[in-house]
Amino acid sequence: MTAALPETAENRYDLGFARWVRDNVEGGDKLSLCMQCGACSGSCPIGTQMDHGPRKIIAMIRAGMKDEVLSSNTLWNCTSCYRCTVRCPRGIPVTSIIQDLAAKAVEFGYADKKENALFAKSFWWSTSAFGRTDERLVTARYYFSLGFLEGIRRGLANLKIALGMVRTGRMHLGMPHKIKDIKGLTAILARAAEIEAEEANDEL
Amino acid sequence: MTDGAPKSQTIAVVGGGIAGITAALEAAEMGYDVVLLEKGPSLGGRVTRLNRYFPKLCHPTCGLEINYQRIKKNPRIKLMTMSEVQGVTGVRGDYLLTVRKTPRFVNANCTACGACAQAAETEIDNSFNYGMDKVKVAYLPHEHAFPMRYIISPEVIGTPEADKIKESCKYNAVELDQQEETFDLNAGAIIWATGWRPYDASKLDVYGYDSSPDIITNVEMERLAAHDGPTDGKIIRPSDGEPAKRVAMIQCAGSRDVNHLPYCSMICCLASLKHAAYVREQYPDAEVDIYYIDIRAHDKMSSFYERVRNDPGINFIKSKPGHIVVGEDGRPLVCGEQIIEREIYQRPYDLVVLATGMEPSRAPGADQPVDVEQDEHGFLIPAVGNDGGQFSAGVAGGPFDVALSTQSATAAALKAIQAVRAG
Repeated sequence: MTAALPETAENRYDLGFARWVRDNVEGGDKLSLCMQCGACSGSCPIGTQMDHGPRKIIAMIRAGMKDEVLSSNTLWNCTSCYRCTVRCPRGIPVTSIIQDLAAKAVEFGYADKKENALFAKSFWWSTSAFGRTDERLVTARYYFSLGFLEGIRRGLANLKIALGMVRTGRMHLGMPHKIKDIKGLTAILARAAEIEAEEANDEL
Repeated sequence: MTDGAPKSQTIAVVGGGIAGITAALEAAEMGYDVVLLEKGPSLGGRVTRLNRYFPKLCHPTCGLEINYQRIKKNPRIKLMTMSEVQGVTGVRGDYLLTVRKTPRFVNANCTACGACAQAAETEIDNSFNYGMDKVKVAYLPHEHAFPMRYIISPEVIGTPEADKIKESCKYNAVELDQQEETFDLNAGAIIWATGWRPYDASKLDVYGYDSSPDIITNVEMERLAAHDGPTDGKIIRPSDGEPAKRVAMIQCAGSRDVNHLPYCSMICCLASLKHAAYVREQYPDAEVDIYYIDIRAHDKMSSFYERVRNDPGINFIKSKPGHIVVGEDGRPLVCGEQIIEREIYQRPYDLVVLATGMEPSRAPGADQPVDVEQDEHGFLIPAVGNDGGQFSAGVAGGPFDVALSTQSATAAALKAIQAVRAG
């Protein structure tokens, strides 16, 4: 697991958080190269949908704004198109940083109520269990993770679409489809988890 | 002379731009024989294509004119145009340079009367104006050319048009049977003043240089503003000839970018400040936006920066644009994030000027006949080689403005003199 987050400092510009990001976030060691040119945020196809955007997130990390960074919607609205990474004049892996910060936000409880995070969890549950995404189960799990009543409400709201998809053969009834070698996938994921744990141990 | 004294006290200067001219003159005026080799048909290099210098906005022509006079009057300088060094052997005090001379097809009888150009019909891209207009196949390199002599482009040789050109000359200056020749040259020291070229803007695919004629480079902007340029000095939109009154300057277009030129090219900030001044001088109602990462106007340049900054028609926008696209109305749209305000913008302009950087002429991958010691970017190291007889001058050694180029050329001349005097 990742090293514990530093305490939120009273001093807004404490470097503790920047150091933590450098040591714990994928690509964090490249943060110091950023010259705040804005090419990343200016290239982002959904830049207007982000509260801060990647450039400002990097500035905020340096400024020690831990809570603001980890609860930002920038981490969740990133679509991993990699434009920022490709265009960054300093070669900073911006997408990796943003994506890994999202994972850290989940790990440290900043994303418990983030819809994007809940959807991502449902998506991952189906993918790892069946090797495929089952639209019904991913959607149902996602809706009900928002609360029982909200699950019913959203389910009913989408009923017409779902029935239409069943009628036209776009969605099936019955057991979820699995990939042929689900045991193989399970073994791969188990090994990946082992490697991750080993790497975490090595770093300690 | 003692044993080991230099066999040759001649200094070879390779490249006839401002650095090469300066190095040649400094050495010759100290009493040393100099051979000045220029690959092209005339001297002046990149500087002669500038409209004006920063920060004083004076014209390069007058300084060059004085230098040409000094060259003319100095019998110690042997000037060879159309001459490119193909190989170097030997050591300090005794180099042998192999030089290839390409034919000009016009001899020294030429009076620059222009009859040949009138007789010619075929037109070619005018490289002096970075291909923004055309010249006839018999042409004067440009109106301040030194030597003031026409040249005939090789593609016309062997055609009836060439014969017509020859007949038009009253001074017997056209020699259609000139051949390429290669010869050897002795020198005791070599000054490499091979200069630079603008970074290829087509490689900056996100800035759309190839997608609109209204997206140009900073060197093209110089020609657009020059009285002897393709528009007689009018700054207009190349697409339709209308005045360019909403103009964007994009700094660091290629420079300070690990995907292109990782270094700062040093001149582009000042060049763009100057370009903004050009636009504002021509159109009192024009508005110029300068998109920058940071403005690098040091020391004596900062007062020019202050002057430009105080112009209410010039806006400084801290932002490296993400991309430039062509909008629905056909104008270039500059897109990015304004970082102070964190505002995502998309703004249309009449003209977008990419402040492309300086790439050494000997950049990696460039076709260079002579292997000279250089750094990873293609810049020559100040003392080339280990034998102490070869030196770089001007932008061949790194990004410099004109003032620093001439200083480095003077330094190189002194080093070269020391090399040919050493026992």
